[in-house]
Amino acid sequence: MPVINVVRQVLDSNDRIAGGNRALFDEKGIYVMNLMSSPGAGKTTLVEKTIDALKGRYRIAVIEGDIQSTHDAERVARHGVPVVQINTGGGCHIDANMVREALPGLPLDEVDVLINENVGNLVCPAEFTIGENDKVMILSTPEGADKPSKYPLMFHESSVMIINKIDLLPYVEFDIVKAKADALACNPELVIIEVSCRTGQGLDAWVEWLTTRVETFRKGRA
Amino acid sequence: MHEMSLVCSLLDIVEEYAGRHGFSRVKSIRLSCGSLAGVEEKALRFAFEVASKGTRAEGASLELEVLPIVLRCLACGAEGVSEDFPSACRACGSSETVLAGGTEELRCEDLEVDEVERPCA
Repeated sequence: MPVINVVRQVLDSNDRIAGGNRALFDEKGIYVMNLMSSPGAGKTTLVEKTIDALKGRYRIAVIEGDIQSTHDAERVARHGVPVVQINTGGGCHIDANMVREALPGLPLDEVDVLINENVGNLVCPAEFTIGENDKVMILSTPEGADKPSKYPLMFHESSVMIINKIDLLPYVEFDIVKAKADALACNPELVIIEVSCRTGQGLDAWVEWLTTRVETFRKGRA
Repeated sequence: MHEMSLVCSLLDIVEEYAGRHGFSRVKSIRLSCGSLAGVEEKALRFAFEVASKGTRAEGASLELEVLPIVLRCLACGAEGVSEDFPSACRACGSSETVLAGGTEELRCEDLEVDEVERPCA
């Protein structure tokens, strides 16, 4: 029986579309972030805080990925930035094609930073690149410190891990030393920032990291 | 349930190669992925069974090679296969280990097919 040698990533087609998205973002000078976490870790709140902190400096747009509802998009739109909702209709992640189809809904010529808020899920979003500059993940303290050992791919793929709800540390069982050590074992280059979106603690460090990344991207293009 | 997306992409690859090489049926598909890649084998098989219906890959057998977790020790430099992650270095016992393998994404290695019109296309 004949055998045909293939040796190709199954998500090759996704990666190709992501490459097309990336080329468009490069042409327009848009820094793109893919924000991922479990449901309830604080993605939308971080998006809101980030918009408020950077609004005077960069023109921001948001793509909101949710299985259904426009709740998050409505929250973000109140901050005065363009936002497009992707409803995955049961799908557990956004992929490059969904992002590509959402882009005509945004004024790309007037965007410096595009935030993609992924579907709340620590597994699947890590596998689907969308043409982003950075994958950013949030781990919140009530989720527990065992997440890096249970979902290593997410930590392996991300540039930065935000430990959110750090203000709850006295009230929850969260071994922060273990969480950090295991996350770094997945990815020794992972940047870790402790944040409380509620009290504002650590947000300046996050905004500084993001600003540095955006500026590095812009200098690379200039 | 990203296994369904994976299977749909896999079926696209099968169609692409069918167009290129000219075969009508696929007998088996050999795949590989890291054990930490987040691919659930049962879900993958179920998704394949459902999505391949009516395609040239219907009824094909899926062979999935799961690649092991590999840890590199930052203390002694040893690199080796491990049952668990995170875990200590098997050579020196240090807990300063980092992931060096096991997160490889799903890959299609080869297709076994009925007959090929253009073997070297």
